[in-house]
Amino acid sequence: MLNILIVDDSLIIRKNMYKYLLNLGHNVAGEAKTGVQAVAECKKLKPDLITMDITMPDMDGITAVKKIREFDKNVTIIMVTSHGQEDMVASALKAGAKGYILKPVNEEKVAKSIANIFPQYKIETDDDELLDD
Amino acid sequence: MQKQDEASVENSILLPMLKRAISFLSDDLGVAVISHSQEITSPNKIELRKNTAMIGTGGSVQVLITMGYDDVLLEKLMKAFLEGEEVDEEEIDEVRESVSSEVINTIVGNALVNPIDGTALSITPPILIYEAKSLFKNKSSRIAAATISTEFGDMLLTVVGPKESFVNALNFKEL
Repeated sequence: MLNILIVDDSLIIRKNMYKYLLNLGHNVAGEAKTGVQAVAECKKLKPDLITMDITMPDMDGITAVKKIREFDKNVTIIMVTSHGQEDMVASALKAGAKGYILKPVNEEKVAKSIANIFPQYKIETDDDELLDD
Repeated sequence: MQKQDEASVENSILLPMLKRAISFLSDDLGVAVISHSQEITSPNKIELRKNTAMIGTGGSVQVLITMGYDDVLLEKLMKAFLEGEEVDEEEIDEVRESVSSEVINTIVGNALVNPIDGTALSITPPILIYEAKSLFKNKSSRIAAATISTEFGDMLLTVVGPKESFVNALNFKEL
């Protein structure tokens, strides 16, 4: 079980991500609505994994990744993004993120993304093709 | 020349957004689009829906994009996002607002690339527009609009921007 911090300014995305992660057997250590909150919560909660939105008020997700990497080299960060934001995903990966989930987010995409980084959490599905999105 | 400029705006900004909106509604959210009865116009004034969210693009093409939803459609979108989960009464307004924002965020984020060089357009966080009833074009701005009709009501898409910046920028690309 991973301890996970959810970072997204959208309530509906936080709610759905929370549900998906619990369904997948993980623990949601906390939630943050902005990059600034994400940095603070990461220091406090020391999660194993962060799901990080890119476009947020106060501080965007890429800047938050850079700030977090200044004090935590180990936490795994997965960006949550759209097809049109590949450049920003590339910047986030360069800054230290390990993967990404493309919107619209669903449980299978979250499971696949986690399993890509933590193979011990791989879940068998009937539709692997869907997970390749 | 004016016709060509308008076509550029529509082809590069509005049509990709429209296409993505239709597929997002029907494929991802299960909201059937009745027809492609969208009407692409370049009006002087747009009547805004009560539920309207807005996003700005950054970089070489700077426009404002609004997405307005009829009440019943927004309720349906909220139910689709909630996937059957119940929401407390005190939370429902915030959930509705976040769905309104997330729909525009997902559609615009997935639809738009920079028409000049093919790179991604940066987008601002969505904001919600309250109390505004209409958008007026002045002589230095442009509005392009389309409406999608669904079984639960309409979605109104508009692209608004300073005429020179997005017409000039878009003219760099042959369409």
